[in-house]
Amino acid sequence: MSTVLLRRTIAAGRWRLLAVAAGLATWGFLLPVVYATFGAEIRRIVEGGYLSDLLDALTAIGGGSVFTLDGSIALSFIHPIPIALVAILAIGHPVAALAGERQRGTLEVLLARPISRRRVYGTALAATWVFVITALAANLGGVVAGATLFDVADELRLDRLLVVWANAVLLFTTLGALALAASASFDRVVPALGTVLAFTIASYAVELLGALWPDMAGWRPWSFFHYFQPAEIMAGDASPGDAVVLAGITAAAVAYGLWVFPRRDLAAPS
Amino acid sequence: MNAIETAGLSKHYPRGAALGRFGPGWRDPILALEEVGLAVRPGEIFGFLGPNGAGKSTCIRLLLGFLHPTAGSARVLGLDTRSDGVAIRARVGYLPGGIALYDAMTGAALLDYLGAFYRRAPVLRARLTDGLELAAADLARPVRDYSRGMRQKLGIVQALQHDPELAILDEPSEGLDPLMQRAFYEILDELRAAGRTVFLSSHILSEVERVCDRVAIVRHGRLVALEEIGALLARRRRTVEMRLDGPPPSLAGVPGVTDVVVVDGHVRCQLEGDIRPFLAAIAGSPVTDLTIEPARLEDAFLEFYTDEGDPVARAAGGPRPGGVEP
Repeated sequence: MSTVLLRRTIAAGRWRLLAVAAGLATWGFLLPVVYATFGAEIRRIVEGGYLSDLLDALTAIGGGSVFTLDGSIALSFIHPIPIALVAILAIGHPVAALAGERQRGTLEVLLARPISRRRVYGTALAATWVFVITALAANLGGVVAGATLFDVADELRLDRLLVVWANAVLLFTTLGALALAASASFDRVVPALGTVLAFTIASYAVELLGALWPDMAGWRPWSFFHYFQPAEIMAGDASPGDAVVLAGITAAAVAYGLWVFPRRDLAAPS
Repeated sequence: MNAIETAGLSKHYPRGAALGRFGPGWRDPILALEEVGLAVRPGEIFGFLGPNGAGKSTCIRLLLGFLHPTAGSARVLGLDTRSDGVAIRARVGYLPGGIALYDAMTGAALLDYLGAFYRRAPVLRARLTDGLELAAADLARPVRDYSRGMRQKLGIVQALQHDPELAILDEPSEGLDPLMQRAFYEILDELRAAGRTVFLSSHILSEVERVCDRVAIVRHGRLVALEEIGALLARRRRTVEMRLDGPPPSLAGVPGVTDVVVVDGHVRCQLEGDIRPFLAAIAGSPVTDLTIEPARLEDAFLEFYTDEGDPVARAAGGPRPGGVEP
């Protein structure tokens, strides 16, 4: 890893990081507030309605819900909004780091320095990790602040919350590693970004549909998001196997990237 | 030890274009560079010439490790380009052709950033920014506000600021106005005086003629010439015209003289190589006017660019690809 490159990368991405972190902190803050303020009311409406099953499904995504604080916390990590926000950094940054620099022609200027391609790759991975950790820490901070300010902090189980956070970091590190591997394989942003986004969206859809539709339940293990179950963790049912699977995928993606990037021919940018 | 040494250096690409895939010769790879052997001596300014697509940039990218050779080998400052890329780039300054820079950074921040990767301090930055008229106020502006010429100046500074042992410059004076070109040539002269080696590719032949000690010419990925500038010019055919007020001299058999045409006291011929036998032959003749077209690199260069200049096409004579030694 190159500290010069890491400092520059983080400095270049600082405004994007701040914007995403602010968004996640706000989102994380809102869900305990919604639970504390409207949770009981929404549950009464759902349970008393004619379409209770459908409404129940619509208010519960990925095992999260606004009926309990644990459910709200789960939702603050697994809802499409925080996933899209973190993906800006976890997928957007690695794609820009190699394929983006290659497309702009600046990768050539960087690689003319005495720095190996493996170090460039490792630094891009480290920067992605820093961005993901910081963004998810903002989400965590928002959750704690919301729960504290709206007097539901006594229901908060910090140890489980930290495990959820660590699992989220691992999930997005996996997505980041896959994005970086794609970035190292393409000369242009669009194919790299398109590949990873398609993979991520399909993966999320498989997990979501698998949770709602029994016929698709068997597909869930093929989704990355299956290995991030914040509601189960908050209920005290964390599975170390999930972390092992995500770590394994991350290791494979990093190994592929470190193998392919130094071996690629980098012809003159067109 | 030579600053740059290549032996049989080749780079082939698989034919990837969809149209080419099913056309004639679809199995044949694209030969970007074919068995190039050259040696650049320490302390010289070496010109690397060729038309667009001839293989100049491919060769440079092989030297810097951006590309991996299909065959052959290259050594830069005594180090192998396959295994010692980082060590090579620590001692080399590189200006890419049509350089892309980080637009959001200021010029000064960019130079600081790119210079921070080297152990060497940017000892030449002040001299370079001064010579190329990049004022402190210019360097305080974001690169996105720079004109093409200013970007090129910044590119030159980033390549040379750490006083590299070898500078590899791809089209260095592209975008510079004539005044700045002159300033850049002075910088090259100073580098030569300091014993630094410069390997530059250029399309500006007057520039090559002005600054380079030797040139290599590539065409269709093959090295077709590698010579001292003076020798290249001396070998060039020049047109000679004479007016006489008496009988013309006999030029038959004079070394280097061909295509003699005599019309009404006016003699026209082609002269190649050493001029002295020709001068000796006309010494006693009643010459009233004599014009010998100056040998220009441009003409020598164009000779190599035409099919007649291609040693592969000629099949005999001239330097052979891969077999040229300095």
